[in-house]
Amino acid sequence: MTDASAHDPVTFAVVKNALDAIVDEVAYTVVRTARSEIVKDVMDYSAAICDAEGEMVAQAKTIAQHLGAIPEAMAAVKARFSGRLEPGDAVIMNDPYSGGMHLPDVFMFYPIFVEGELLAWSVVICHHTDMGGRVPGSNAADSTEIWQEGLRLPPVRLYRAGVMGETLEALIGLNVRVPDRVLGDLRAQYAACRVGEEQIRALAGRYGVGGLRGLFAELLDYAERMTRAEIRSWPRGTFRFTDRIDGDGFDEAPVPLSVAITVREDGSLLVDWTGSAPQVKGAINSTLSFTKSNSYLSVRCALRGDIPNNAGVFRCIEVRAPAGSVLNPLPPAPVAARALTGYRVVDTMFGALAQIVPDVIPAAGEGGNTVVCLGGRRPDGRPFIMVDMISGCWGGRPDRDGIEAVTNPSQNLSNTPVEVLERQHPVRVEEYALVPDSGGAGRFRGGLGLARSYRLLADEAILQVRADRVRFPPWGLAGGLPGAPSANWLDGVPVPGKITTILRRGQLVRHHQAGGGGHGDPLERDPEAVARDVWNGKVSAEAARRLYGVIVDPLSAALDVEATLRERRARKGEPA
Amino acid sequence: MQERVRIGADVGGTFTDLVLARPDGRLFVAKVTTTPDDPGRGITAGLSALLAEAGVDPASVAEIVHGTTVASNTILQKTGARTGLLTTRGFRDVLEIGRIRTPVMFDLSWRKPEPLVPRRWRLEVPERIAADGSVVTPLDEAAVRAAARFFCREGVEAVAICFIHAYANPTHERRAAALLREEAPELLVTASCEVLPEIGEYERTSTAAVNAYVLPAMRGYLSRLTDRLAGIGLRAPIRVMASNAGLIGLASARERPVFAVGSGPAGGVAGAAELCRTIGVEDLVAFDMGGTTAKASVIERGMPALVSEYEFRDGISSPSRFIKGAGYMLKVPAVDIAEVGSGGGSIARVDSGGLLLVGPESAGGDPGPACYGRGTVEPTLTDANMVLGHLNPRALAGGTLPVDPDLARRAVARLASRLGLSLEATAFGIRRLANASMARAIRAVTVERGKDPRDLALLAFGGGGPLHAVDVARLLGIRRVLVPPAAGVFSAVGMLAAEAAHEAVEPILSPLEAAGPLIAAARRRLEQVGRAALAEEGFEGRAVELRFTAELRYLGQSATLAVPIGDGSWDLAALRCAFDRAYRATFGYAIEEDVVELVNLRLSAIGRGTGRLTFAQLRLDPRALAGERGERAVLFDPESGFVPTRILPRAAILDGPVAGPAILESYDTTIVLPPGSVACAAPGGCVAIETEHGRD
Repeated sequence: MTDASAHDPVTFAVVKNALDAIVDEVAYTVVRTARSEIVKDVMDYSAAICDAEGEMVAQAKTIAQHLGAIPEAMAAVKARFSGRLEPGDAVIMNDPYSGGMHLPDVFMFYPIFVEGELLAWSVVICHHTDMGGRVPGSNAADSTEIWQEGLRLPPVRLYRAGVMGETLEALIGLNVRVPDRVLGDLRAQYAACRVGEEQIRALAGRYGVGGLRGLFAELLDYAERMTRAEIRSWPRGTFRFTDRIDGDGFDEAPVPLSVAITVREDGSLLVDWTGSAPQVKGAINSTLSFTKSNSYLSVRCALRGDIPNNAGVFRCIEVRAPAGSVLNPLPPAPVAARALTGYRVVDTMFGALAQIVPDVIPAAGEGGNTVVCLGGRRPDGRPFIMVDMISGCWGGRPDRDGIEAVTNPSQNLSNTPVEVLERQHPVRVEEYALVPDSGGAGRFRGGLGLARSYRLLADEAILQVRADRVRFPPWGLAGGLPGAPSANWLDGVPVPGKITTILRRGQLVRHHQAGGGGHGDPLERDPEAVARDVWNGKVSAEAARRLYGVIVDPLSAALDVEATLRERRARKGEPA
Repeated sequence: MQERVRIGADVGGTFTDLVLARPDGRLFVAKVTTTPDDPGRGITAGLSALLAEAGVDPASVAEIVHGTTVASNTILQKTGARTGLLTTRGFRDVLEIGRIRTPVMFDLSWRKPEPLVPRRWRLEVPERIAADGSVVTPLDEAAVRAAARFFCREGVEAVAICFIHAYANPTHERRAAALLREEAPELLVTASCEVLPEIGEYERTSTAAVNAYVLPAMRGYLSRLTDRLAGIGLRAPIRVMASNAGLIGLASARERPVFAVGSGPAGGVAGAAELCRTIGVEDLVAFDMGGTTAKASVIERGMPALVSEYEFRDGISSPSRFIKGAGYMLKVPAVDIAEVGSGGGSIARVDSGGLLLVGPESAGGDPGPACYGRGTVEPTLTDANMVLGHLNPRALAGGTLPVDPDLARRAVARLASRLGLSLEATAFGIRRLANASMARAIRAVTVERGKDPRDLALLAFGGGGPLHAVDVARLLGIRRVLVPPAAGVFSAVGMLAAEAAHEAVEPILSPLEAAGPLIAAARRRLEQVGRAALAEEGFEGRAVELRFTAELRYLGQSATLAVPIGDGSWDLAALRCAFDRAYRATFGYAIEEDVVELVNLRLSAIGRGTGRLTFAQLRLDPRALAGERGERAVLFDPESGFVPTRILPRAAILDGPVAGPAILESYDTTIVLPPGSVACAAPGGCVAIETEHGRD
């Protein structure tokens, strides 16, 4: 065993990539061992490796939104357990007011000891199917205090020397609706943490404990240096943007989020959320840790360099949000549906960043995945909970169209295959498709929204849908038009974006996700691209004429070049 | 057939490599230029000459093994069939939606791959099967017929069918396929249940769509090849290299070309694994550099690293089990391989920003590099190597391919004047860029998997592999390079070491304890399918080995763990124990009281030919080792400039170690030994090179 020099560039690259490979292996283990679709199919979970101090040195290509919350959660774990953990122990927590995000997201922290020393941590965060509380899925937007949302766990030791503690196992098992899944997923988290331990130990065997420690520090410094260098190339000043959430589910009043991003001389940013709405009655309040997380990742998206994804990037970003606001609520404010607010934090950040780096930032995307929960009993009496997520699209970009059917950039969600969903729950999905004409018109078109529908095959179930962007559709940039708003229907009748209701056998709930905003003037769009969209049934011939001034035959999709030229000249007020 | 002569034919982007193995182990090799308009033309011309040279009567050839890039090129160049897709009503966009994830994070400029079937040609028909296989909505036959007519009007050539839950009940898919064929006999139809019928609508749809997309190209190609070979008296059965480094028969390749998308590079991997076992090296990186691309894969404990599904994509393609969304999903078993667009024919140019780029555009074999004198004026990597003295300035391929070094110099000089650099500096820059790009491919399968390449040996083959191997190894800190026998045509040699392998799967999706009767029936069907497929290719009785695998998981999980079923371990309790054991070994825990679900029963039906090549018995045609002796000036690094360098035939290694600077030339490849490296003879006919001789 040799302590490799921290300045050997090959070792540095190998260790950096090895950490990325290890953390992806940790994440992959979760997928392979988890029991609930939301983890194993939708991939609503994340994994990271932290150094001994708890600074994240590597993150898996999973939910980015989770990871910026690690510092606060880690602080709570260290405050309670500092120096008291042994090899094979694991601490879990989910309490939003102890550094967590919302109750379904259970953090697991697993200390990795090498040669008797704490060298690193495996961290795995999973969205659990249920954590008890008043509504199946523990994710309701219409709770009014945290006590209704389910079982709160401060940092507690779930595993001691490799064995799950029976007290906690029994307590959790009794308080959640689907104990097999929740305990199964906790076991998956633990198995994954141990994969991280094994591989970090192997890495330490190759490069030495001291060498690895030095390399961790160097990786963090390296990311910080690169981030600062890039931010220093940005224009100085303060850039403001405001976006809105439709409402908290109780009140019709929109919930505004306002940001002011200041680019400082030293290559750091101040992200100030002063002026955002006060905390609300409904459960869309975002804890400060989650607000920070989404602010960090938005900046990360605006950086172009090949910068390692570690906590070194966070060091360059200072986030402030007034206490008692929707972005830094005081207990016992409910927070279960806070993901929505996180997405809007990202949209708001992008709106301000588009003024700083206009050639990088796209128009607004769908604005966050829609969550559909169905909970009830199967014909044989066994309970079921389906938590499904419908992703969307990206807005038009400065140099190309938005992507359709893609994860929000703040996450890296997948989807549950219809065939898997139907094997596990008494539902039938009758549609999973793109929605034509939903992409915002622009020189570069916004992506189309997605449609998904569910017919209930059990006697009855509680349906809960959390959607947004019904009243404030995704915005366009540089003259591009907004995307189509999102919408819900129950048996063909329009219903609000956020609903909790009883569904009976045979009823059909249908959701349209919002389309992305357009980028640039639609009359500047290449007529061939418009004709191609008509040919593919993504844009109707009628919309091609009305929005783009492009004349296309509705059946053959043939482009009429002359008529298009005339139409566009007329629109621009130019002589024919 | 008293003589069981076997032929291997590997068509690369630039060269077609041909190998003829006589049963006594004697090997004859030829390297001819690939004829991209119809690769069969090059094969036939080369084989005629090779047969004559070896003195073999075409009628005594027992088998022709073939690796082809026709399917993969069809996808890469987007030249496949105008392909349609028939889906269940409501699911037109499954193929385009995919699995939503992105392979990179925080990159707002990411491009999602265009679906192989445009939305216009994706049609829905009313029909629905439930998860338990029961029919919810019967198939609307009139709608299928109408779809057939629409496809014909639109000029669609091939159609994939994928209906929801067809893995549980394929009757609607089968009926729809029959109706399409009846209504429009000219349409080539692929039903998802006829490929690998597994749960997961996107993966199944994508696999069927890729199959349909490459079907006409592959079928046309194989027909023409068969005719051409018959034209020179070669009527032996043709077997095609599959992506998993096994062999499939011609009929199978014509129906299910999706299994042969990774055909091209698989031969070298099969050979590398066999060589590994022969010489007792545990782990190595197989590095295969041809005229158009370079590929890297890892052999662990003598077996190629395999994946059960992969994404086919452009650029660095490293099939990851975890990062999806970058390419076209193929749910078929394949070798884990990374590929970059750097080969001898890679064209060097300057982009608008003044940056020097090498590849991925290639001059191929025809017209080929500038030095071939067939009209190429842009410099290629081969031209740069010629300017630097690494390649023989008179002729390549053992003197059979005359070249003109002045043309190479002129081509590089043109680029040099645009860059404002000297001729040598430009040539060296081209070589260095190509080396860096190839090192990235190796990193993708080693470093990026947390495996330190410095712990592995590098097995270098393909026409250009040994030409660059030491430089590339040095970039990665690899200390040992191996060059196998017949390195320049090693993919073709490796194919002769492969076994016939047919994959089949039966979904079970039942708790294991209750699966007894289902298993028995599935096993019977699989065995029947596997044996029939092999019998068609001439493998029967003791030549057949059936390898069954049970894919198991705890009820409620998504992913499975494959548990091989050894002889006689069909006992359910034993299977259960084996699963718990394997699960504990993989994940560190097991839950003995939980229900285990049997997801799939899978069969690899292996056909063992009698004439399979092994390296122990290999005897090279003396011409393959011969080469000239002499000296020429070679530039290894710009600081030292050109240094006098010994040129030796490869066979010289048998007389004792050779220290760099030196170049070993042979018919099929050139081994470059820069200063500081030392080569010596190694077992299995290999040359072993220490890249940093005498350094710690």
